[in-house]
Amino acid sequence: MRKSTLVIIAAAVALAGCTSKESATSAGGGQAGGTVIMVTPGDAVEVFPPFVNDQVGRWVQDLVFERLADLKPGLVTKGDQGFAPRLAQKWTWAPDSLSIAFSLDPRARWHDGTPVTAQDVKYSLDIFKNPKVGSPVTPNITNIDSISVRDSLTAVAWFHKRKPEQFYDLAYQLMVMPKHVYDSIPPEQLHTSPTTRKLVGSGPFRFVSWQPGSRIEFIADTANYRGRPSLDRVIMTPGDPATGAAQLLAGQVDLVIAFPVDQVPKLDSSTVARSMIDPQLAYVFMAMNPHVAKSKTEPNPVFADIRVRRALSMAVDRVGMLHNVFGNDGILSHGPFPMAAGYADSTLRLPPFDTTAAKALLDSAGWRAGADGMRSKNGKPLRFSLMLPSSSLFRRRYGVLMQEQFRKVGAQVDLDVVDNPTMIRRLLDHDWDAELHAPGVDPSLTGEEQFWATRAIGANGQNFIPYSNPKVDALLDSAIATFDPAKSKGQSSRAFQMMIDDAPGIWLYDVTVYDGINRRITVPTPTISDWWMNLQNWSIPADKRIPRDRIGLAPAKP
Amino acid sequence: MSDVNTARGVQRSLIGRLWRHKSARWAAAIILLLVVAAIFGPMLTSYTGSEQLDIVKLKNMPPSWHHPLGTDQYSRDLLTRVLLGARISLAVATLAVLMSMTVGTAYGLISGYAGGVVDSIMMRVLDGFLSIPRVLLLIAVLTLWNPVPLSGLIVLLGATGWFGVSRIVRTQTMTTRHVEFVDAARALGASDTRIVWRHLLPNIITPVIVTATLAVGNVIALEAGLSYLGVGAREPTPSWGSIFLDGVEFFAGNWWVVLFPGIAIVATVLAFNVLGDALRDVLDPRQLHGGPALPAGKPAPSSNANAPLTLGTDPIQNG
Amino acid sequence: MRRRLAARLLQSLIVVIIVTTISFFVIRAAPGDPFSYDSPTITPAIRAHWRAQFGYDKPLPTQFARYAVSVAHGQLGYSFPMHEPVTEALAAAVPRTLLLAGLSLALSFVFGVIIGVIQATRRDGWFDRVSSAILLFFYSLPDFWGALMILLLFAYWWPILPAGNIVDPVLHDYMGTWDAFADRARHLVLPVLSFTLLTMAGITRYQRAAMLDTLPADYIRTARAKGLSERRIIWHHALRTALTPMVALLGLMLPALLGGALFVEKVFDWPGMGLLAANAISARDYDLVTATVIVGSIMVVIGNLAADLLHMALDPRVRE
Repeated sequence: MRKSTLVIIAAAVALAGCTSKESATSAGGGQAGGTVIMVTPGDAVEVFPPFVNDQVGRWVQDLVFERLADLKPGLVTKGDQGFAPRLAQKWTWAPDSLSIAFSLDPRARWHDGTPVTAQDVKYSLDIFKNPKVGSPVTPNITNIDSISVRDSLTAVAWFHKRKPEQFYDLAYQLMVMPKHVYDSIPPEQLHTSPTTRKLVGSGPFRFVSWQPGSRIEFIADTANYRGRPSLDRVIMTPGDPATGAAQLLAGQVDLVIAFPVDQVPKLDSSTVARSMIDPQLAYVFMAMNPHVAKSKTEPNPVFADIRVRRALSMAVDRVGMLHNVFGNDGILSHGPFPMAAGYADSTLRLPPFDTTAAKALLDSAGWRAGADGMRSKNGKPLRFSLMLPSSSLFRRRYGVLMQEQFRKVGAQVDLDVVDNPTMIRRLLDHDWDAELHAPGVDPSLTGEEQFWATRAIGANGQNFIPYSNPKVDALLDSAIATFDPAKSKGQSSRAFQMMIDDAPGIWLYDVTVYDGINRRITVPTPTISDWWMNLQNWSIPADKRIPRDRIGLAPAKP
Repeated sequence: MSDVNTARGVQRSLIGRLWRHKSARWAAAIILLLVVAAIFGPMLTSYTGSEQLDIVKLKNMPPSWHHPLGTDQYSRDLLTRVLLGARISLAVATLAVLMSMTVGTAYGLISGYAGGVVDSIMMRVLDGFLSIPRVLLLIAVLTLWNPVPLSGLIVLLGATGWFGVSRIVRTQTMTTRHVEFVDAARALGASDTRIVWRHLLPNIITPVIVTATLAVGNVIALEAGLSYLGVGAREPTPSWGSIFLDGVEFFAGNWWVVLFPGIAIVATVLAFNVLGDALRDVLDPRQLHGGPALPAGKPAPSSNANAPLTLGTDPIQNG
Repeated sequence: MRRRLAARLLQSLIVVIIVTTISFFVIRAAPGDPFSYDSPTITPAIRAHWRAQFGYDKPLPTQFARYAVSVAHGQLGYSFPMHEPVTEALAAAVPRTLLLAGLSLALSFVFGVIIGVIQATRRDGWFDRVSSAILLFFYSLPDFWGALMILLLFAYWWPILPAGNIVDPVLHDYMGTWDAFADRARHLVLPVLSFTLLTMAGITRYQRAAMLDTLPADYIRTARAKGLSERRIIWHHALRTALTPMVALLGLMLPALLGGALFVEKVFDWPGMGLLAANAISARDYDLVTATVIVGSIMVVIGNLAADLLHMALDPRVRE
């Protein structure tokens, strides 16, 4: 009796095993399974999409939530050709292009099993636009007027103006969130509500837990309408890249974001891990404040003069510094844009590295060298402070290198290595002379405009320098407005050349990031612009699995 | 009472007796060498500490004939920087300790000499200061007011280092206050100032000197620790801690940037500790056993006057 | 006795109040407030809204009064970066520091006392000289340097132990009971080793000195005269007397180890009080910074109290 019961149970288990094996077949084919442990350069600051403004937070939101459409690798942000369907199966433009009707995928489900509806899309836009929420994304979506619900699976987006990037504004910027989960929280309390720390999305991975400072865990959404991801589990743990590097080479972790550049050669000879270039849309330049620190009007005695700005640009060995910091793997900046962007132009004329010319230019600007080689004008020394974030190893190294190079032409630089909170406060208070800045750019020219255009000066814009040139404004405007790619590129290049000639900054390098990744992980060619959004297609072949890949989907013990 | 009660007598006997103390001779020699190196060393090398020789070809060079300690990632000569670091570290520590000893002695003297309610209040306030973890307080102030110039760092280290010594001075003052010769002086109509200056201070100076010597070592370690946390000296100022920090971030490659400033720190702290111990042996005949002093930044002595620990000189609090 | 205890308790309370006040005003005297620091893209209106919501728009005395009332009720505020109430963050971190410091302290006491006694009994012998020299070296190691060297040695150059954290941040939750225990133990080794080495030197020197003070005492001579074995005299009679100040030292050391703990925790990424405090400072987490300082001072005060009480209990001379 007992024996036969056992047999039956065993058979049932075997059967269940079979069926679960079948359902465990992933979207990419092959049997599902595997754990990927990521070492991230810091913890997430915010994970609830309307608040997310940090890189790790972005990774989290992109694993859990979805957009209406995804941007494909070419990064074409004009029109809708560069986009692949995601939550929206298809979309229809109104004849006047002022509205787009998005048809949602009827199979799409939130991780709690509730269907995704047009109400959710409308709710999400309302939250992103609500001034009480204070989303950093709000300035990017001003052209979207509203979303109306035509039926439960059709959301219609209404725009103020017809613009080449109106589709991008909506599809890329708006993360769709479940109304039924978050609607009960008053908007002004979203920031402190514990509910917004428990993410419920429709993306490939379910959010499991976040232990601040320690780890964020995700498991595969096995019921996902687009097929379950091949991996079972993804764990992000914040850590120092140098420590992470050692752990990666020892096989303890699988992916180290921003692997220390000096140690990349170690990966080439390692049998455990390899390097993977991680294209970034960020460039670093030394910004020069045209005003005296803390003032918005009084001209800066050093930087107000374009000759001084140009002389300082010529005083630094940009190529040498690139080699010092990145070895042979760095990307030199060619102007105020990331080289990976579609509108980048490597043919623009930059001030050459020429210390003799730099000295001559400083002489002609009235800054005379004293006995010790340091310059002054009307008794005031040629001296300024250079603010750097302590969190960025690259920028700290550049700061020390530049300090010495400026000294060689007679300019004294004080390095202010500050932590991020101080840096943000001082930028907001205009309390700085010079700064190594890394504007995070979005893939469209609009991002450039939000950083450099005259109208981006002030509380809601990011033009903190502030830089203003009406001709540049006009060129960028028309480059964004035109639907003709060649014309757009010509106009943006002319704008960039003007900016380079104005020398509001010294263009240094593109943020180059190498990730270290365990060799057992198979990474397919990306189909979406950002690698972390392709994580659903990563897999670990069954014969290469190690014990932590076989944990399965069971929850952790309590 | 001649030798013990005049400052000059203390000095004369001190040097002679120290010379007879073997480990003290070694420690003093190391410290002297460090001071000489700090003053003249940077002039002897053919580089300046901030000079970047060739940022592409000469970065991260291991020790060689031209660069006996190698170069750092900015192609700067490490020997020059370590020597300059001696200058910064020694100067910062000495000035900070001078400040804390002055403040602490004054506070302890006033408290101990005044006695009564004044003493009670001053001691309770001191208890409050003593129970704030010094390292935490320093990190907080240095981070929140970032960037703090070197002079500010010295003042902060000095201002947070006097609590222990003031307690020692107070105890000494209280015991000395009613000793015969003080009573005699008072009977002869000496003013309070004169009593403090002529009679109390020379007796108190002994433990203060010992404490100060140990404190210099501790402050050097503390300053290095703060620089390591990124809140100490600023680039291109080479303190040992900041050179060390440069190296740690690249420790996979450059062992020399980690090792040499580290050796410098440890040797210096060791020398000051040995000298401090020897001074105690020599100066304080009651304390025969090379008595205990507690590790840097660690234990606090008991806060009340009838403290359970009566092991001669009170250990210093947090350097 | 009872009155003295009451007086000591009152004194301790006053100390904690002083510390709370100092830390509250020091952090608020710094430029900015917690809401100046979030993303620069947040509009001034939103900042003003948050300031009002959490009372940072009120004048300082009002803020202090509100804070004092909430502290008196056991509420220490909310930590934005940790996304949880301050009390919860502390409840997680304090036991970790106590584990690290407690274990290290216990080890350094055991070894420190043994070595100290042997040193004192064979004064100026080879063991005394060699061990004193070695301990003086460890005693002179700056906390961060000693910890880092141990980390480099055993986690990088000869990688046999994990480099940081309290358990495997990833797999610990999926381990069986024994594996989980082993994992915890492995992560304890290096920080405890560092901490022990750094504190043991001081304890040994105390013990050696205390023992040397005791050995010439009359009753030891009496014991010798009675013909007791030397081993029994040293390990029984002399040690008992010499241990009394050591017990007091134990209480005194525990709280003030916080400073050293900060460096060890930082190097080994040990998420205890020290690391929590350091992170809170850089995140401008005002409530959490203030709370860690308060808790730190309470630990110091309790340590002092406990030391006094223990000493009173052990040493009849003090009791009288």
